[in-house]
Amino acid sequence: MKDLFFLVFIAYVMLLGLRRPFLWVLLYVYIDILAPQRIGYSIITTLPMSLIAFAAAFGGWLALDRKEGARFTLRQGLMLGLLGYCWWTTGNADFPLDAQTKWDWVWKALLFAIFLPLTLTTRARLEGLALSLVLSVAMIVIATGLKVVTGGGGYGELNFFVDDNSGIYESSTLATVAIGLIPLLWWFVKHGTIFPKHWTVTVFAAALTFSALLVPIGTEARTGLLCIAALAVLLLRYSKQRILFIAGAGVLGLTALPFLPQSYYDRMATIAEPGGDESASTRVAVWNWTLDYVQTKPMGGGFDAYRANKFTYTMPVKKTDGNTTTVTYQEVEDKARAYHSSVFEMLGEQGWPGLGMWLLLHLTGLWQMERIQRRFKKAEDETTRWIAPLAAALQMGTVIYIVGALFQGIAYQPVMLMLVGLQIGLNTYCLRIDSARGLLERSAARKAAVAGQMRGAVAA
Amino acid sequence: MIDTFALALGHGLLAVAMMRLVLREGLDVDPLLDDIKSETSGNRKAASALGRNEARRARSEQGAETGEGAQ
Repeated sequence: MKDLFFLVFIAYVMLLGLRRPFLWVLLYVYIDILAPQRIGYSIITTLPMSLIAFAAAFGGWLALDRKEGARFTLRQGLMLGLLGYCWWTTGNADFPLDAQTKWDWVWKALLFAIFLPLTLTTRARLEGLALSLVLSVAMIVIATGLKVVTGGGGYGELNFFVDDNSGIYESSTLATVAIGLIPLLWWFVKHGTIFPKHWTVTVFAAALTFSALLVPIGTEARTGLLCIAALAVLLLRYSKQRILFIAGAGVLGLTALPFLPQSYYDRMATIAEPGGDESASTRVAVWNWTLDYVQTKPMGGGFDAYRANKFTYTMPVKKTDGNTTTVTYQEVEDKARAYHSSVFEMLGEQGWPGLGMWLLLHLTGLWQMERIQRRFKKAEDETTRWIAPLAAALQMGTVIYIVGALFQGIAYQPVMLMLVGLQIGLNTYCLRIDSARGLLERSAARKAAVAGQMRGAVAA
Repeated sequence: MIDTFALALGHGLLAVAMMRLVLREGLDVDPLLDDIKSETSGNRKAASALGRNEARRARSEQGAETGEGAQ
């Protein structure tokens, strides 16, 4: 039944795309995020859905799109450079088979992020992509939020549509993405035109925000709590009454405290005491190992190079017997532990050149979004007043992603790469507006000058 | 039940959004950029028409002066 439901929806979008091929790009976004082929049970699992959608998106753009305003930019060049570099490190990887497995999805995510901005040539397309992104993630977030409210939850215990702990269906990744998209969600409430301003849109956004905030609580993902804190700090910049905002956030936080389960407190307490938790203890050990590793391999060891790590450390083990809790210190040996940080993931796998490209990709995004905000801050007409708030939402999304990425290996997370594509599309769109307005001013000046000459000649 | 609800709601909203995008005129051609380009093109045409008129007038005035000189 689920398979049929997904197939009918995909067929519907494929049909609509015959009239507007850009919709096939949105179809790929939907399939890549939600992965209906992994949710279904029968026929849909055998179909190469991503490949079909990508072929339709790329083919439709190549053969049928106007391509007016499509430009290849510096940040796309950076991603292309990173793609080429990853290909090279995969060929020289420490663990060739594992590296090949990761390469198989990374190149697709990078290639789509490079291609995406070429299709984002109009305001409607930018909005369409942002909406498809938000709604695709929203389905997972709504289900998660409802499960938490109805009594589910717990670290590693919440069931998503897909239970393989990969991609966006990994609890910390979902928490980061869900929190990161909240600013974009509220941009729709104020500036959306596909679903224009209406009380139903506001109610939906409020409910979805609540669900998104429940994701880190329900999954007990510590990174999610840090992302919420980052979001609160970022919102201070745009808050007109900061004191009231801080007080309101404090009251909201305090009101929520009694409703949180004890297991949540226990897990969050390990943020301040990383030594008391194996997952947190190994992070520091893996990061130190990575720094040592790149001293001998500065160009990186290819995907999954972390498999070479091996270390021992001491961690406290609590044992409760009746009313007595005893703490003993045990030496733990660990090996092949993942990076738990995108910075160290890039450093270990792609070396200093890869880390440099990745950092530059996101830092240029932050800078471009800041520049757009300042440039269009005072725009008041309906055609451009949406630009600065969208840039602000995308900038906040990136900062929250970077905060989350500091503690998770999500350097190539497809949703975040799509957000990069959206930023590039918005930047190019703004440059086109400026360029078109420059030409308009010059043409108006020329027309006035010629008219002036005419008047002078007639008067003479 | 929860999964079905979330999937139905999300797909329903996506289906409506896609339909609205298909029916939207500004999906493939941006209205703002199109307006600016049309205005620029109008200015250029007007400037060149004015320029041509002035050149024609200048030529005819020059012709008249030459004719007067020959008499």
